Amino acid sequence: MTAYRKHSSRARMLALTAGILNLGAGVAVAQMAAPPPGGPPSGNAPAPPPPGRGPGAGLAPPPLPPLTEAQKILTALPPPMKAGLFPQPPVTADDPVSPADPRDFQGIWYHDQPLEVRIQKDMYGAEPPVTMAGANVIARRVRSAEAGKPFINASAKCLPPGPQWQRDLNFPFQIVQGKTWVAFIFEEYHGRWNISLDPKTTPLPGGTDFMGRSIGHWEGDTLVVESTGFKQALWLDVDGTPLSPNGRLVQRIRKVNLGDGKPFLEIITTIEDPQYYTHPWNIVRRFAWHPNLPVFKEYNCEEQVGDPSGVTDAGLVVETAD
Amino acid sequence: MILTCIMQRVFRTNIPAIHNWFVTTGMAGMVLLTICTPAQGQATTISDFEGVWKIAKPSNSLEASTPVVLTAEGRKALAENKRLRSQHKYDDYDITISRCSSPGVPRLMLTPMRFRIWQRLGVVTFDFEWNRALRQIDMRGRPTEPLLAPQMTGQTTGRWEGDALVAETVDVSDRTLIDDIMPHSSDMRVTERIRLVDADTLEDRITIDDPIYYAKPWGGVVTYTRQPATPFFPEHVCLDRRDTAARAMRGK
Repeated sequence: MTAYRKHSSRARMLALTAGILNLGAGVAVAQMAAPPPGGPPSGNAPAPPPPGRGPGAGLAPPPLPPLTEAQKILTALPPPMKAGLFPQPPVTADDPVSPADPRDFQGIWYHDQPLEVRIQKDMYGAEPPVTMAGANVIARRVRSAEAGKPFINASAKCLPPGPQWQRDLNFPFQIVQGKTWVAFIFEEYHGRWNISLDPKTTPLPGGTDFMGRSIGHWEGDTLVVESTGFKQALWLDVDGTPLSPNGRLVQRIRKVNLGDGKPFLEIITTIEDPQYYTHPWNIVRRFAWHPNLPVFKEYNCEEQVGDPSGVTDAGLVVETAD
Repeated sequence: MILTCIMQRVFRTNIPAIHNWFVTTGMAGMVLLTICTPAQGQATTISDFEGVWKIAKPSNSLEASTPVVLTAEGRKALAENKRLRSQHKYDDYDITISRCSSPGVPRLMLTPMRFRIWQRLGVVTFDFEWNRALRQIDMRGRPTEPLLAPQMTGQTTGRWEGDALVAETVDVSDRTLIDDIMPHSSDMRVTERIRLVDADTLEDRITIDDPIYYAKPWGGVVTYTRQPATPFFPEHVCLDRRDTAARAMRGK
């Protein structure tokens, strides 16, 4: 068990807050990424085609499109903090194995890629297709944080931060499921992500939730989940990549087993929100099988955030309206 | 033997898989699962608590079934809590009320709202409707270390004694209460014997052992009634409701 996992919930809350506040010294593994070298900030140059094949032969990725004016706003922003990843105890041969059924996701999973504090690329390496409104929101949030006045968000208020932020955190979660439902139970934020696969027999509770309303269906062995109806606008990441309450997240979840005893979940999330993005775009995340982390650490952010006499909202400021 | 060992392997991954096996093979209604433990050569009985439960008789107090004998320090702490309550200074003694902080163990077991139990991967998880709170009992029999910082729900390990789950909880923050008024020190040990009285009744016999505040162990019995099965609870956000109530009180 690493020292990191022994942090109290308050310490972890502060660590996250420190991330929001750009207090790099407060986050043991966070460090500022080197500034961009000044070249075209439109992503990596396409790899050269393999020998014997000319341009356009089909193996080399297509060139990225030129940046829009809105995307240029994003690329001009200071780079996000670069998060590290704390090692977790290795899964051993004595630990439970993931069920052989590719549709059975039950067990403990852990996002094993470094947290993207700001989603700067889609899964193909392109800039997020922001509208000018979307770019302005991100720029406002990043610059306010840079100026020492980060905005209040759901995380800072100890509210459910929405499915994307919730999943992205490097903490374990448990999946339990039945034929008509799937439930994610997260260590952080008392998070729950409830998915109905048959709203007629297994309806979701009424009302709007911070986590939205999620309906799923199977396409082969991939669970496709559409999440809508969010109670409030979401931050998709720590820096504030936005999703409006009318936005939609489509998650395509599959269990990948390469036969090496290390299955993982792959979740491709399609972000749809005409208010902030010109077209749907995709990000991908990987979650490692970690049955050896079934006991969650307590997360009790209310003790700090709910203090009626002290500083609440972690000292963040109210965001100005669009 | 082969079957039980297969079951044991599956069990470590997923109790409902066994439960579903009983259901699909026409053995529904069986609530006790017996598996073979070759290392010990004896049968271990594991009760299936999974389902949705709700306290049978809601109460803010852990109603003692044995006399509560306070130490001098305990009397002082209880008197202070009562004084603060009379002055509505809740944040000075009960941050569950004032901040929505986790009630911890054992107070969570008095919640008037529903909870769900999962028995997976050697861990019994109580999944509460109230504020989406969690508590877990580690049944894996692995050695534990004292927590660096106490938790509201402490650290709980459990074992089976017959059909009862015996849970021991330590490292509970002294910023929680046993119920809505009774104090405890950080040295408190909570022992629970949880068992099925029948298929639809769950019982939790709670014993408080805290020599700093109580001259002898005391406790009570809380029972729960099985509720209609549902995989989802409404998204209960205590802070949200507290803020709504506060705004209403301010006339906004």
